[in-house]
Amino acid sequence: MEDHVFLTCDHPLNLPTISINEPLSLEALASLRSLIINPSTPAPTISSVIETLTRSLQLSRDPLAIHHTLKLLTDMALRRPHLSGVVFDSVCSHSLLSTDSTRIAAESLDALASIAEGSRVLAPGIEELDDRLFASLCFSPSRSVRPWLLRNAERFGVQPHLLFSLFLGFTKDPYPYVRKVALDGLVGLSKNGVIEDPDMIEGCYFRAVELLNDMEDCVRSAAVRTVCAWGLMLVACKSEAKAYWSDEVFVKLCSTVRDMSMEVRVEAFCALGKIEMVSEEILLQTLSKKVIVTKKGNKSLAQCSDEQLETSGSSVAGAFMHGLEDEFHEVRKAACHSLRTLTILSAKFAGEALNLLMDVLNDDSILVRLQAFETMHRMATFDCLTVQETHMHMFLGTLVDNDTLIRSSARKILKLAKLQKLKLVRLTIDALLENLEKHPQDEADVLSVLFHIGRNHGKFVVHIIEENFPQMEPMSNGKLGFDSVRVAALLVLAISAPLSHERDCNIPPTIFSYAVTYLGRISQALSDVMNQNSLLEYLSQCSRSSGPYAIEFNFKVGEPCLPNANVPTYTSNEIIGSIAMPLPQKTGGTSEILSPTINKPREAGTSLVEYQLEVHDEVTKSMNVILAKVKDIWPLVLSGFTNEVLRTLRSCRKELATFTSDSHASAGVFSFTKQYIQIVKLLTKAWVNFLSSTHFPCGMGELDLVLGKLDRRLRDLKSAFIRLSEEEELHILELILVTCMLRLSKVEICCHLGTLRKLSSMMSQVEYLLRDGSVEPSGFIIEVGKLSSEFGSSSLNEASFNPLLIRRVLESFSLRQLVLCGRLKHIKAELDIPDNEYENPLWFVAGLPVGIPCHITLHNISAESRLWLKMTVNEDNESTQFVLLDLNHFGGCDDVRIFMFTAPFYKTPKAFSFTIRVCICMECLSEVEDVSSVKRWGPRHELTYLCREKDVYLSMVK
Amino acid sequence: MAIDSLVLGAGQEVGKSCVVVTINGKRIMFDCGMHMGHLDHQRYPDFSLFLNLNPTRTSITPSLASSSPTCTKRKQKPTLIFHLDHVGALPYFTEVCGYRGPIYMTYPTKALAPIMLEDYRKVMVERRGEEEQFSSDHIAECMKKVIPVDLKQTVQVDKDLQIRAYYAGHVLGAAMFYAKVGDAAMVYTGDYNMTPDRHLGAAQIERLNLDLLISESTYGTTIRDSKYAREREFLRAVHKCVAGGGKVLIPTFALGRAQELCILLEDYWERMNLEVPIYFSAGLTLQANMYYKMLISWTSQKVKETYSTRNAFDFKNAHKFDRSMIDAPGPCVLFATPGMISGGFSLEVFKHWAPSEMNLVTLPGYCVAGTIGHKLMSGKPTKIDLDKDTQIDVRCQIHHLSFSPHTDAKGIMDLIKFLSPKNVILVHGEKPKMATLKEKYSPNWEFNVMTLQTMRLSQFLQPTM
Repeated sequence: MEDHVFLTCDHPLNLPTISINEPLSLEALASLRSLIINPSTPAPTISSVIETLTRSLQLSRDPLAIHHTLKLLTDMALRRPHLSGVVFDSVCSHSLLSTDSTRIAAESLDALASIAEGSRVLAPGIEELDDRLFASLCFSPSRSVRPWLLRNAERFGVQPHLLFSLFLGFTKDPYPYVRKVALDGLVGLSKNGVIEDPDMIEGCYFRAVELLNDMEDCVRSAAVRTVCAWGLMLVACKSEAKAYWSDEVFVKLCSTVRDMSMEVRVEAFCALGKIEMVSEEILLQTLSKKVIVTKKGNKSLAQCSDEQLETSGSSVAGAFMHGLEDEFHEVRKAACHSLRTLTILSAKFAGEALNLLMDVLNDDSILVRLQAFETMHRMATFDCLTVQETHMHMFLGTLVDNDTLIRSSARKILKLAKLQKLKLVRLTIDALLENLEKHPQDEADVLSVLFHIGRNHGKFVVHIIEENFPQMEPMSNGKLGFDSVRVAALLVLAISAPLSHERDCNIPPTIFSYAVTYLGRISQALSDVMNQNSLLEYLSQCSRSSGPYAIEFNFKVGEPCLPNANVPTYTSNEIIGSIAMPLPQKTGGTSEILSPTINKPREAGTSLVEYQLEVHDEVTKSMNVILAKVKDIWPLVLSGFTNEVLRTLRSCRKELATFTSDSHASAGVFSFTKQYIQIVKLLTKAWVNFLSSTHFPCGMGELDLVLGKLDRRLRDLKSAFIRLSEEEELHILELILVTCMLRLSKVEICCHLGTLRKLSSMMSQVEYLLRDGSVEPSGFIIEVGKLSSEFGSSSLNEASFNPLLIRRVLESFSLRQLVLCGRLKHIKAELDIPDNEYENPLWFVAGLPVGIPCHITLHNISAESRLWLKMTVNEDNESTQFVLLDLNHFGGCDDVRIFMFTAPFYKTPKAFSFTIRVCICMECLSEVEDVSSVKRWGPRHELTYLCREKDVYLSMVK
Repeated sequence: MAIDSLVLGAGQEVGKSCVVVTINGKRIMFDCGMHMGHLDHQRYPDFSLFLNLNPTRTSITPSLASSSPTCTKRKQKPTLIFHLDHVGALPYFTEVCGYRGPIYMTYPTKALAPIMLEDYRKVMVERRGEEEQFSSDHIAECMKKVIPVDLKQTVQVDKDLQIRAYYAGHVLGAAMFYAKVGDAAMVYTGDYNMTPDRHLGAAQIERLNLDLLISESTYGTTIRDSKYAREREFLRAVHKCVAGGGKVLIPTFALGRAQELCILLEDYWERMNLEVPIYFSAGLTLQANMYYKMLISWTSQKVKETYSTRNAFDFKNAHKFDRSMIDAPGPCVLFATPGMISGGFSLEVFKHWAPSEMNLVTLPGYCVAGTIGHKLMSGKPTKIDLDKDTQIDVRCQIHHLSFSPHTDAKGIMDLIKFLSPKNVILVHGEKPKMATLKEKYSPNWEFNVMTLQTMRLSQFLQPTM
């Protein structure tokens, strides 16, 4: 209040250095700025500031001062939207727009546009500005303003046809950067589709084609984009000769794939992927360096002369071959990506392109290899993936690759692949079995792939099962080799055969009974196809009938979830998405395939079934599907695709939001996943800084903030859940270690001692977890262990460690998949202060204690935990007070406790009214003792907040 | 404005590359090589022609590149003799003929050239007992005069002449040179490669306004198919062999092929989790890999990007091979010199390994007649007579892997198309191949292509300039 009065009275005195007839000095502007950004500056002061600024704008001749004045006016309008009209008019009416300095004119245009963007009312105002002004500014001699104007043209509401001619004209500018911006502007124009005249489009297209031979790299890459954008428009508007023009654009783009600049080549391949119609001859030519385009029989190019044909042939020749063996992985990746669309156009092309793509699986960059898989997957969904025997060695080799992502991508394709020969199927199955042996963790997915292969190749499978039948038979002592993954795999293959379209699949019925013994394992693997009950039904039904199968299997429950190879619109991600969604509703639907004749085997399997259902309840399973996706993003984080990663995480969160979990049991899993995704997001942000400086690092302060948040969240995750499995706990500890290491890796962040102490305490917890060897430490943990023992020996000393060493350790980290076991429970609390509002405060007498009635509900909190009620006034540490909640005094069980508690607050201030923020915290007993914050009365360890802070309003008794 | 061009060597052949160009009165010599096929005066370019022109100011700019490795005739130890057809005559020219102008080389060339020259001198003088053309001191003196340049560094030689080096791939340190005097500019490519290897990148140059391009044309008529297919076959053969418990012998030269194949194998080993040891015969790794590690900025994108975490030339699975391990059981892969099994360690190992069907020998694309490599390539023999007492039973499998660091016809055309110079001179190739290239493509081009006989002076007068 007092401040307020002071400002109001003082405002003329506040600007003493400003004389009315002189422009403002920079110091004066700086002091005005503080008034503008201060939200509590009173309105009269503000309006006088506006007045001063406007006057100064008229008086000043110093470009720097004008620049700052305009900036201040813009800030003013953005911070105080109700004033934006006044500011807009004052900038507008001011003669700046007709000043002779182009730079100042451009800056005032910028100010106007920024103000108009901030307020909807003013948006038409900017449109009313004269287009002539813009055009004349563009032609002014100032060459640094020109590209800026062109780049920002869209903001000024300039009429598109004028823009078109301006852009087109400036593609001849002597300055390369202006040419580039003009071309970019043309690309922008092509998007809103205002220009429809075919001749204009053609003119623009040919101008861009000329610039494909520009001397400057940046112009050529912009020209490639322009040729593509306007070429596509040209194709669209030439209704009678679409094929010809489409080929023409394609050939022009192909001629740039041998450019010496990497950026141009990347652009070229991106552009090639956008062409939707190309004749087969030309496509085939892109795969061969030798010119093979024939001179006759080519209708689309009939209009060309032979010579033209040959030049186009030579510019197309080997385009993709060059692209796929380029030195730069960006180019190779772009080339793989563009093949996605082009392979769909021609089966012959798809076949030949596949020969090259298979070789790309040998590329040295994992990004390129993954892109190649992605392209093949798309080919498979469009049914144009014809795998030959020569491909098998390379392709199946990837099934035993060291990298999980590579293996799973290869399997994803096998699910859809159609193999023509028995030999190929046999090779594939052998490779899958080898995969299973070398990487047992892939079991579920491998079994699922086998099931799909069986469904797609019924007849071949029958052959293979016949050959391998002895292996699946029980041993001489009459027992099945229960632990043999191989047998499980062959069983899955066998039981899938009857589901293929070939009906006379003769699988011995006993096999189906054997398969029942593996029910849990199999049903887990096939969770995307059918649930356990329907699987059991199916197995028992088959084991009773001795084939050939006359029974029509009715898989209504399973069918909708089957990724159907014939539906082209499915992409891999969508399939996963669709699996995750229907799970919770599926449990009840099995009755449809029940038949009274098969009760007995079902009973036999019941105990198994129940056990399985108990452990893998549906929500946990869906959460694990989401968590698997979260793990998959780590390679992207490593390669710096932060935006993509954040987008994926957002979509995971959205997906998560679609589950509404009522059941008490699954609530913990649910909120755990939610918090975990949040943590991965923060980790991603922190990791960006760790990556090289080519990515845009946030400021050091921001990194500090992110790491702080990460610390807090991880602490919450670690202490707010109980009954974590050892794996889960180890996973969280690993993430905490990563955070510590990230902190240590930045020299700029101080207080290394605290971090080192935390590190060693976390390591001792990790060692405790690892003591009996039931969980495996990751490579990263081992590295950190080594490092911390080094620190230990050389005594904690800030100078003794080397950031490079830490960086190297960090590089060994990769996010592992977190598999939830579903037992965990969420510790949380609800706090309510009944009958307390702003209008209805509690009464107190200054200097005397006041009792605050709290209604508290605690979930999953054991009586041993140390719970505190934290009460804060004014974010001030001194006035924070803690009250211990001794749970032994309150009734209830560990699961839920509900009680009333009156908390005493002692230090009531001398004030009419004040607010206390109350919340419930738990002491993390496992954390390091926090020496800095030890007080006489209060927690000795770090705290986890169990509920949101609650405001309590108090008022003095009158 | 005029550019005169005088081809002193490698006009219509491969060997003793040397071109003297006069741009607006400034004279530059590109390359100063020697011919390995001649032992008489013909081995050097005829410098008298050049010196008779009475140069006022002359610069010499050897742009290092390698010839086909046919020049190796040594029997022992790894050899670094290639590139001599581009720098071989330099000490002779500066120390014996008395050239005193500036000499420019890229950094790696300056590092490697003296080693190669010294190596060559020793072979000639100490083994073959020939008369010494230049001494060790000559080489040292000559190298002192060399001014090293970096890629894309513009050097103002004098107030008119500007030169700049561009990356050419091919071999460590190879560069294309751009030269400009007044309004006339030209590029001399030396040897270059337009498709990248795993350890070296592809040639890279800007679009320049050129009056003349002098390009090599070793493979003027060949169009190579994808290197991926060759790599795939190679890996497949090696994997199959070691999976069956066999041993793989890869005879190579010290620089280039050894590193290329080892990077390829390392990568595959890593991905496939293979534990079979890869060996280098002694001497091979030490010097050559050290040069690659030091000159990392001259390698490919992949090597450059990853070297901060792991230098691609620090081969993780590679170990030093000891003679005693030749007969040790179990599978392994061995890189041994020399590349054509003409003698030395690779021959010794070959004698032990060839009789087993499980083993594999991977030969380079080209072997000189008379070497065992050549015998193996020309039809698979069952017995090879080493000398009159020794006969080797050859039962092992043979695999060919051609690996050429020269650009093919498509690459030459792509470069010419990209640079769009007004004139092109093809050098460093066989006459019929150059003629074919010229016939086939020049009608479509808007500029002159010419091939020049050695020692014929040609002059282009630009009509409008």
